[in-house]
Amino acid sequence: MAMSFEWPWQYRFPPFFTLQPNMDTRQKQLAAWCSLVLSFCRLHKQSSMTVMEAQESPLFNNVKLQRKLPVESIQIVLEELRKKGNLEWLDKNKSSFLIMWRRPEEWGKLIYQWVSRSGQNNSVFTLYELTCGEDTEDEGNNAIFPTPTLMSSESSLQSLFDFQSFSSKFLSCMECRWFLFCFVFLPEHYLAVAYGGSGD
Amino acid sequence: MLGVGDFYYELGVQIIEVCLALKHRNGGLITLEELHQQVLKGRGKFAQDVSQDDLIRAIKKLKALGTGFSIIPVGGTYLIQSVPAELNMDHTVVLQLAEKSGYVTVSDIKATLKWETERARQVLEHLLKEGLAWLDLQAPGEAHYWLPALFTDLYSQEITADEAREALP
Repeated sequence: MAMSFEWPWQYRFPPFFTLQPNMDTRQKQLAAWCSLVLSFCRLHKQSSMTVMEAQESPLFNNVKLQRKLPVESIQIVLEELRKKGNLEWLDKNKSSFLIMWRRPEEWGKLIYQWVSRSGQNNSVFTLYELTCGEDTEDEGNNAIFPTPTLMSSESSLQSLFDFQSFSSKFLSCMECRWFLFCFVFLPEHYLAVAYGGSGD
Repeated sequence: MLGVGDFYYELGVQIIEVCLALKHRNGGLITLEELHQQVLKGRGKFAQDVSQDDLIRAIKKLKALGTGFSIIPVGGTYLIQSVPAELNMDHTVVLQLAEKSGYVTVSDIKATLKWETERARQVLEHLLKEGLAWLDLQAPGEAHYWLPALFTDLYSQEITADEAREALP
């Protein structure tokens, strides 16, 4: 898990772990936190987390510096991410969340662009083609769409709920209506998409 | 008033660009060292070399033009203020105190400057308000007030694309 992640300068700046009283400074601080959470999760391919995990994660707990962001402040950062569309709560108690370092609309646009570029509009794709197909390799270090995780049956109810919420945003990007089509016939992939990006 | 050809004029423009780009990090306060490093980086290999004295001269000209720049002597070097935050003698003297370790506390101020608690607090509140200092409540003992401008880890950090955009008119 200890990949060479480039921490931003703020991470080594002790006051970064104290919620700033000055509002202008706080805005800068929250923006930096949001950015850090997204790049951290993106690099570690982590798409969901519990608040308890977050508290102990190096993300919010800089052991070397002896500073950690208090849980109330973590909640504030998470709320900012939610407002920006990068986070969704997985339960009413707000104890675990889904982190989307690319928002569903952004994925929608990317996929549409990739499909248009490869001239294959109005085709049906399987998830496999989208994530591992040869054509996707040029898209940079991430595949065009992250590798899906297979969901266990006990969480399938929850994932169905989450997928609906995910997909309703996804499909609001109009070009992607076609995308849902293939999932009607491939229900196991249907569930996997909601958590695209976590682990291999 | 400007005189001395294009050299100082161009240098003045570069100084303003660097300060604008880094303002959101340090609140408009930067050490002469860091300014120097960033200006040299921006000038590239073929540009005429620039000394810290050159920078001071260019800044004095900018001051004369009423641009809001000021030069604050601290511990053997200078802090350059590019945002016209209201800094009086009290603030300046606390900045000088902070220069050693990058932060300052009420106790440091009381011990070194022999001020009353309230006077010390007011100065620190002002620095917070001007965005020049950040509050650290997890430091041992008491609250620490850190100045990004004096945070050595921040030195020579590349100016990001977003920051460079800030520098454009």
